[in-house]
Amino acid sequence: MKFPAICILLAAAIPGIALAETPQQILQSHVAEAARQTPGFSPSAQRGQEFFGKKFGASEKMPACSTCHTDNPAQAGRHIITKKNIKPLAPAANAERFTDVAKVEKWFRRNCKEVVDRECSAAEKADFIQYLIEVR
Amino acid sequence: MGGLKPVRVWDLPVRLGHWLLAGGFILAWLTGDSEEWRLIHVYAGSAAMAVALFRVGWGFIGSHHARFSSFVRGPAAALAYLKSLGSLSPRHYTGHNPAGGLAILGLLALAIATGASGWLAYQELYGDWVASLHESLSHLLLALIALHLAGVAAGSLAHGENLVRAMITGRKQGATADDIRHSRPLAAVVLLVWVVAASWWLAQ
Repeated sequence: MKFPAICILLAAAIPGIALAETPQQILQSHVAEAARQTPGFSPSAQRGQEFFGKKFGASEKMPACSTCHTDNPAQAGRHIITKKNIKPLAPAANAERFTDVAKVEKWFRRNCKEVVDRECSAAEKADFIQYLIEVR
Repeated sequence: MGGLKPVRVWDLPVRLGHWLLAGGFILAWLTGDSEEWRLIHVYAGSAAMAVALFRVGWGFIGSHHARFSSFVRGPAAALAYLKSLGSLSPRHYTGHNPAGGLAILGLLALAIATGASGWLAYQELYGDWVASLHESLSHLLLALIALHLAGVAAGSLAHGENLVRAMITGRKQGATADDIRHSRPLAAVVLLVWVVAASWWLAQ
């Protein structure tokens, strides 16, 4: 008699077991959001790479993503202030990247605010992730 | 206030430590999300934790009103005190009142736990969960600080005594016998040296 209840409980618990997302899934959710704002949107690794290297100038010490993450996100970076190593951003070099949507959004929120001086748009995030997925 | 006059209650390490802890927390809180201010955040948080650690030791060897044995009472005493605040004759304590005493234990524990988890996160010794724990603890600490400030305001009004000024001058209303007579400036120098050394070491 208790079996159906257990099944329901298990089914309810499965999302809580943190089924890790893939970079593709996280990319697609941003693509979908960007397409809602701009019909026909398609992510571009080229635009993502330009965004990654662009000197926004909001922060004097950290003008661009590449300031700390280097020009090649498949390599380890170095925090310009603390001099600490930063693991590669590209999933090809670091399989943990872009597998936890909460973590991804937290760092977009924090770093965009500081480096770009505003929140990044869904389109910018989609391009950014597209670039990182492709970079080797 | 019959028979009460301003007497020395808070020694220099208590006062200096209090304001260093407050300043360290404010600075660390404001710089928490910034990478550009990351080192300042680490130094400020380390200094706050170092002050809290010193205060624990000072709670055993400090002057009378600084000692835990003089102000840590049970939750029943804290409740009784809070109830008396609403009455016409609130019970006055020369040192910390029982509710404030409990808040101090919580504030010190949270300051140390927040600093320790922040240090672990900065050293990247464990996973991302340490950073999450650090954030949660800092929010708890902020909430308890808000409660502490509300208590200071309520106590100041109830007793007609400026408790913020007391934490600067060290003087409160009390009986002559409660006067600590010595403000321990040398221990305050030790505190300063300890905070500088500990935060320098922790930020490595």
